[in-house]
Amino acid sequence: MNSEQYLALTPEAIKILKSNGCWSRSWSKVKVTRGFDPTRIAGTIFRGQVRIGRLEGEFLPKDGIRRYAGIFDANLHNVHIGDNCHISNINGWLSNLVIENNVLIENAGSIVCQGETSFGNGHSIEVLNEGGGRELKITEMTSAQTAYLSTMYRHDTDLIKALDEIADKYARSVISDRATIGEGAKLFHCQNIVNVNIGKGAILRGIQNLKEGTIASSPEASTFVGDGVIAKNFIIQKGAYVSDGALLASTLIGEASKIGKQFSAENSVMFCNSEGFHSEVCSIFAGPYTVTHHRSTLLIAGMFSFFNAGSGTNQSNHMYKLGPLHQGIIERGGKTGSSSYLLWPSRVGAFSAIMGKHYANFDSSDFPFSYVNEDGGQSTLVPGMNFFTVGTMRDGLKWPTRDGRKNTDKLDQLNFEILSPYTGQKMMKGQSILLELYAGAEKGQEYVSHKGILIKRLLLKTCSRYYRLALEKYLGDALIARLTAGSVKDKSELVGQPEGADDGDSPWVDVSGLLCSQSRLEGLLDGIKTGEVSDLLTLQIELQKIHGTYDLDEWSWVINAMPQVYGFENLNAENLLTVLEKWKNSSTKLLNMVEMDASKEFEGNVRTGFGIDGHQDDDFYEVRGKFKSNSFKKQLDEMRQAVESNYDQSLAIFNNL
Amino acid sequence: MSTIDRIKNVAAELLKVEASRVQETSRFVEDLGADSMQSIELVAAFEEEFDIEMDEDAALGVKTVGDAVGFIDRVIADG
Repeated sequence: MNSEQYLALTPEAIKILKSNGCWSRSWSKVKVTRGFDPTRIAGTIFRGQVRIGRLEGEFLPKDGIRRYAGIFDANLHNVHIGDNCHISNINGWLSNLVIENNVLIENAGSIVCQGETSFGNGHSIEVLNEGGGRELKITEMTSAQTAYLSTMYRHDTDLIKALDEIADKYARSVISDRATIGEGAKLFHCQNIVNVNIGKGAILRGIQNLKEGTIASSPEASTFVGDGVIAKNFIIQKGAYVSDGALLASTLIGEASKIGKQFSAENSVMFCNSEGFHSEVCSIFAGPYTVTHHRSTLLIAGMFSFFNAGSGTNQSNHMYKLGPLHQGIIERGGKTGSSSYLLWPSRVGAFSAIMGKHYANFDSSDFPFSYVNEDGGQSTLVPGMNFFTVGTMRDGLKWPTRDGRKNTDKLDQLNFEILSPYTGQKMMKGQSILLELYAGAEKGQEYVSHKGILIKRLLLKTCSRYYRLALEKYLGDALIARLTAGSVKDKSELVGQPEGADDGDSPWVDVSGLLCSQSRLEGLLDGIKTGEVSDLLTLQIELQKIHGTYDLDEWSWVINAMPQVYGFENLNAENLLTVLEKWKNSSTKLLNMVEMDASKEFEGNVRTGFGIDGHQDDDFYEVRGKFKSNSFKKQLDEMRQAVESNYDQSLAIFNNL
Repeated sequence: MSTIDRIKNVAAELLKVEASRVQETSRFVEDLGADSMQSIELVAAFEEEFDIEMDEDAALGVKTVGDAVGFIDRVIADG
């Protein structure tokens, strides 16, 4: 409602307000809407400019106790209150606020705005490197991808300058001396909130202290901030859940992330669908789906995504020399075992499992799907082994189903694919390195070393075959997807570069969840540097466009990779039959090996502890069931059947082209 | 040296057990203590010893020393 529509209080209304225990030094500064009902206000002090909307209707919160629109026992200072709000028992002040329609505020301390503020937007945090140098300006519109560019592309000073300006521009656009409580928000028992914008439909309950921040929220993706939360200089994005004594300092919590159980975060970002409970994070760049659940775990100065931290996971980022300046990267899909330790700087390849303590700096990024083990105090690698484990396959199936984001304007662009040009190119390189290492090794040698980590000589050929098998599976998957999509009308279309696609030669990068070719990304970076992309919304749209080209660019990469992987001189339609044959074989092998891995959960030592006073097997079967009736085993059987039917179907489509 | 003796030697060395413990009926996992990684290393070691390439999922299904003899002899025979 604009200010012209507000009316001065009538003498009769003032009389009723006074009789209800209300007080104002200057009643003329209190303006109301037509049809204002003064009987719905009691025990309230008015200071400064106060505007009040219609007070009608009611709320029925989850506790089942009906609240009526009105203002009861409140202290208001420079507040605009929308229609149909319920405000009661405000012990401190509601000051310098715009309270939109249908807001409920109950039993609050102070909710105030003090001077001009950007509500945490534009606040600079020292992410990834505690010593600084990678400062990121967080905003409520910051996506995993924009943060990745700001944090990791420091070599491109023009880009960083432009990205900082984009963040500053956004921060300037929200600067105000009034904080907003968005339509439909509900605030219960909040103690102290200073300079915080609260989005539409947000629910706040029992908060202890919030200062300088934004709680983004929308009716379809309501954000919850609950008991005992203390946060300063923060951004909480839509649909997030933050509660139970969480401590946030200079931190961004991404969409649909869950934070609680005394979790503590400082100078960190945790993008969509991340989870932080009990543990501590400091200066981390947690890409989408970063999960840490255990009290004894510290994540520090690292970059992660699609990551699961085991209990007691730890890293150290300094060696008492020039301070905490080291940083580490665990590429997407990593997992750490209990009590694992990594000395930064190190870089771990995608989809790798890290077990044991690692006191050497190593780089295994050429070897995705690996086991990183500790053997007698030395760091060892088994390349490709993690591709054949139940865990990796289950992760790939579960992530898309666990995307908790309900808003349509999702910020983070995600590719869930385990096999992609990103991992494909790494496997091709890894395969070649392994064979080179094998050729150069002596037969009596137990280990060979590569970038600080040891690989058993005996396994070099075996592991290169693992990559070969995974590549055959992947390239065949891509061919089948292309054939069954129904868009190909002629065999020549299968072997030619698709129109509008990237040239297929460019390396692929993982932009914190978004997989794309480097050349595609560079096009965007140029746009940012030239000013063509000059605000966060446009940047977001451009990132969405890149995300939308995945299938096209993937196929372009695939047809470029096929001759290298299979040794074809040229790619022609007949060669694709070989790809199909190899796919059938490798897919079946993969499923057999995953099944073998899964069956270990039902054999031998796994039964230890079952049948405490005898009947071990019977006890085990009752508790864990039998392998042949296990749901995952059944899923594998279905997948095996699907291999046969997909092969037959694809072959038929191919032959009819 | 016969196939079984070569297999026994490789298994004893890799699993660090006394050669006399490795018998035709010995099970790699239960009797000789091979864990999952060592099972994979055994396959690789047999490949190197006999200069062959084995199908991993089939090879990992081999449980005993005696079964390994039959399996490897078949791979050699198949060329």
